[in-house]
Amino acid sequence: MEDRTDGRNANQLRPLACSRNLLNRAHGSARWSQGNTIVLAAVYGPKAGTKKGENPEKASFEVIWKPKTGQIGKQEREYEMILKRTLQSICLVNVHPNTTTSVIVQVVGDDGSLLPCAINASCAALVDAGIPMKHLAVSISCGLMEEGSIILDLTKSEEEKLKAFAYLVFPNSPLSVIDKVHSSKEEPIEHGIITSVSYGAMPVSGYFDCLERGQAASAAISEFLRRSLQKQSSEDASRVAQ
Amino acid sequence: MDVDTGNMTPTNLVDKVVVPGDVVLDLTKMENQTIKLGSGLCQDCDYISVMQAGKLRLSKPNKYWVESSQKRYVPSSEDTVLGIVVEHRSDNFLVDIKAPNLAFLPVLAFEGGTRRNIPKFETGTLIYARVVKANGIMNPELSCTYASGKAAEFGQLKNGYTFETSTGLARMLLSSPTCPVLEALGKKISFETAVGLNGRVWVNASSPDDVILVSNAIMRSEFLSGTQQRIMAEKLLERLEKS
Repeated sequence: MEDRTDGRNANQLRPLACSRNLLNRAHGSARWSQGNTIVLAAVYGPKAGTKKGENPEKASFEVIWKPKTGQIGKQEREYEMILKRTLQSICLVNVHPNTTTSVIVQVVGDDGSLLPCAINASCAALVDAGIPMKHLAVSISCGLMEEGSIILDLTKSEEEKLKAFAYLVFPNSPLSVIDKVHSSKEEPIEHGIITSVSYGAMPVSGYFDCLERGQAASAAISEFLRRSLQKQSSEDASRVAQ
Repeated sequence: MDVDTGNMTPTNLVDKVVVPGDVVLDLTKMENQTIKLGSGLCQDCDYISVMQAGKLRLSKPNKYWVESSQKRYVPSSEDTVLGIVVEHRSDNFLVDIKAPNLAFLPVLAFEGGTRRNIPKFETGTLIYARVVKANGIMNPELSCTYASGKAAEFGQLKNGYTFETSTGLARMLLSSPTCPVLEALGKKISFETAVGLNGRVWVNASSPDDVILVSNAIMRSEFLSGTQQRIMAEKLLERLEKS
C-alpha cells in the first residue's frame, strides 16, 4: 500500500471542522472544512411562493453555487442540480407547501472532495435554519486505486491521478429508543444511500467496495456532526475533530 | 456508533439534544395512551421521529416537543407576535411575521371595530397581535383582540425601537419568573418592552440612551446564564451613570 502524499493511511479522513450560525442575515449558515477544502453554506427561507415549474403542494429548494474564482459554468450547474436533488430527498417537503428555501454555497477553498464538503455544509446549514428534515446527510469521497484498494477523502492531486472515484452520500446514524429489528449485517449495503456521483470507469466489485468503506466512514462523520450540533448552546460553536 | 439498544423507556432521550432522524418514541410499546406532539416531532407509522435539531422536552404526563431556536418563526395559534404591515387590502392587512407566509389581519379584528372606523395603518406600522389560526398550508390569521373581544395591549406600537432576535431568546424574555436581564435593567431604568414570539422585540424609553442600552443588553443576553446576565446588565448601567 503506497503512502498518500499527506501521510494519511487509506481509511483516514482529513481534520473536520464545522461552525454554524456565522452569518447575521442568513436564516441558517454553516462552514464546513475538510483539510483545505472549505465551503460556506447559507440558507434563506422558507419564503412564500414557488418558482414556475415546481409543484406548489411541496416545498421547493433553490441552490446557488458560487465558485471561488471564475465564471459560473456547466460544472457549477451540475453541482447545483446534484445538491438540489440531494437536499430535496432529505427534507420533509410537505410541512411547508408552496414555499421556496434558498441554499447558497460559496466555495472558500478547494482541495478535492468539494461536492461532499458542500453537501455536509448545506445539511448543517439547513439544521441551523430549522428546516424540517427526515434525517441528516453525510457525504464522503472514495477513490479506487489501480490494485483495487480504496482510499477515502481525496485531495485534489489524488483526484487527478486516480482512474476512478466516487462521491457518496449516506443518511446519518440515528439514535433510537427502539431495538434494531434487523442487524446491520443482514441489511444490504445499498440501503439508505442517497446520492452517488462517480467519475471514471471502475469495475462493479470496486464500486461496491467503495460503498462499503464509505458507509463505514460515514458513521464517523455522522458522529462528528452530532457532537457539533450538541454544542449549539454556545455562541462560538467551532469544533475540530479527526 | 451511538445506537441505544435494549433500553426501552421513552424518557431516555428526554432533555438530551436530538438531531433529525432520531427515533424518540416507539408507539407499539405504549398502548392506550394519548400522546401530544409539539413542534419538531412527526409520526412515522409506529415511531415518533425528530424533524428539527434541539432538546427533547417532556411535560408530564404526555406532551413531547423539541425545543429549538431559529431566526424564522413557525406560526401556531394563540401566540402573541409583533408584525409589520406590508400592504392594505380591502378586507385584510397583510402583515409580515417572519413566517413562511404573510399573515392576514382582518380590518375588523379590533375592539369596537366597524366598517366606519377602520384603522389607517400605513406600510411599516408595527402591530402587536395574536395569532388566531395557523396551519402549514394557509396564510396565518391574526387578531388585535382576545377571543372575548377586549383589546388590552394589542394594536399599533408607536415610537420606540424594534429589533429582531431568535425565537429562543424571545421565549426566554417571556419566561416567568422574570428574565434576569430585564429585572436587572428595570431596577435602574424605566422602559417598556413588547416581545413577540416570532423573534421581534420592541423597546421604548424616555431617552434614546436608555433605549440603546436596553436593546444592547437584551441582544447580548441570549447565551448567558442568569447571574452572567445580571453582571452584564450592571456593567452597562455603570457606564450610563458615569457619563
